[in-house]
Amino acid sequence: MAAMLKVNDIHVYYGKIHAVKGVSFEVNEGEIVSLIGANGAGKSTILKTVSGLMHPKSGTIEFMGKDIAHMEPNKIVTKGLVHVPEGRRVFAHMSVMENIEMGAYILGKAPEEAVEDVFTRFPRLKERRKQEAGTLSGGEQQMLAMARALMSKPKLIMMDEPSMGLSPILVEQIFSIIYELRESGVTILLVEQNANKALKITDRAYVLETGKITLSGTGRELLEKEEVKKAYLGG
Amino acid sequence: MSVFTTIIKQLINGLQSGSIYALVALGYSMVYGIIMLLNFAHGDVIMVGAYIAWMMMARFAANPIIALIAAVIGCTVLGVLIEKAAYKPLRQSPRISLLITAIGVSYFLENVAQLVFGANAHVIPTFIDDTPIQLGQIAIPTTALITVIVAGISMVALNVLVKKTRMGKAMRAVSEDAGAAQLMGININNTISFTFAVGSALAGIGSVLYCCAYPKATPTMGSMLGLKAFVAAVLGGIGSIPGAMAGGFAIGIAEALVSSAGLSEWKDGVVFAILIVVLLVKPTGLMGRPMTEKV
Ligand SMILES: Nc1ncnc2c1ncn2[C@@H]1O[C@H](COP(=O)(O)OP(=O)(O)O)[C@@H](O)[C@H]1O
Ligand SMILES: [Mg+2]
Repeated sequence: MAAMLKVNDIHVYYGKIHAVKGVSFEVNEGEIVSLIGANGAGKSTILKTVSGLMHPKSGTIEFMGKDIAHMEPNKIVTKGLVHVPEGRRVFAHMSVMENIEMGAYILGKAPEEAVEDVFTRFPRLKERRKQEAGTLSGGEQQMLAMARALMSKPKLIMMDEPSMGLSPILVEQIFSIIYELRESGVTILLVEQNANKALKITDRAYVLETGKITLSGTGRELLEKEEVKKAYLGG
Repeated sequence: MSVFTTIIKQLINGLQSGSIYALVALGYSMVYGIIMLLNFAHGDVIMVGAYIAWMMMARFAANPIIALIAAVIGCTVLGVLIEKAAYKPLRQSPRISLLITAIGVSYFLENVAQLVFGANAHVIPTFIDDTPIQLGQIAIPTTALITVIVAGISMVALNVLVKKTRMGKAMRAVSEDAGAAQLMGININNTISFTFAVGSALAGIGSVLYCCAYPKATPTMGSMLGLKAFVAAVLGGIGSIPGAMAGGFAIGIAEALVSSAGLSEWKDGVVFAILIVVLLVKPTGLMGRPMTEKV
């Protein structure tokens, strides 16, 4: 099987800061793949580079056989690759419904069945569709960010720390939604600091340390590894 | 004339100039909302609009509607050109570079106008039959009525554009979070150009309405008008569209009230006093949102 997303030896900089130092990984169709690592390891930078918000200084990024490393983000979305950014980044002063419509921007008008689909997945959002997104709770905003991303019917969805700052019950809920998404055929690249939870639902994972991949394997393999247990699973 | 009719008359004046301030303030606010730039060249776009109106009517004997359309098109094109030529190359630069460039563009336009048309005022032929409409004791000048109506229609149209259309929603999304907007597939460059186009078109309408009240074009006419509209935008909350409208009317009415108290030479001073007070007491203005830095 050919990889859906193939990142090959990318180097990414913020000015002089060398944040990502030769990272390579793959995501195959139908998988949940996780990038785990401590704060500042470069996880968000990698996602921003794949979605086109940043560009690598060298290396290639292929999505469904096309080189996207130097494409602009608004173009990349149209290829079926969406990014749910860190910190949710919902449009706080637009209504929930408008946020959902923005998610379907590339389709012109939001397709009704797509709206129905996200409202079935996230009934809370339906209740609050007229409310300004900024007035939602953290968990609801995360759901909105995910719903918004689903509106363009993506093939691959990248999520940056979707469980950040949420209560344990909500974390549980978010992870089960991610799992269901995969069941419905969406491929997922997940970035998490909550390594324990992420590794449990993950097919394969990569461990990132200061801009480099230091370990990789299936979720189960990594859960068993001593160095992973020590560094990321609290002993 | 009774005190009452004097006040009513001044209020009508205030609404007339307030409509113009509001139209111009919208351009400041929308542009600030989208690229965090105080576009000090915006007032000079109005000046160019006035020269276009003058040329059309005095030189080509065009009818006022044609002149209005020409001014609006001219301002729109100029606004988009300024953005593309002067501001777009500085998208990644510090905001202060952008601000200084805007001031540079302002001087550039004023000097080009002076070079081309000379420093003297060009009088625009009166194009509205100004027999006032008598409402009992009160005479409403036709220009005031037309100004308020045209400005009102423009603002309603702007509201529909921003609230209901795809491009309008894209504009709001980019103002809120340009990065997230890009991730939705929105083309930032087109959206920014569109914002300049809309703001400048409103300035074009404003310039023709301004010429109804003060029918002269001079190279520096845009600077005071622009500054007052800027104060209106700050008073309303820079970045906020309803704020710019409210701020424009508030400044117009404040000026008129000062005049009706017999202190018309204090008018400008009062406007800038309002700016100082707003900046001291509530820098986010009446309807502004606290600014958060975005990555
Ligand atoms: N906007 C920025 N400017 C400069 N350096 C940055 C910026 N964002 C992140 N960095 C640096 O890049 C490195 C990787 O950051 P990031 O990708 O956000 O890590 P993670 O998501 O794994 O926590 C860190 O050292 C961080 O300080
Ligand atoms: Mg991060």
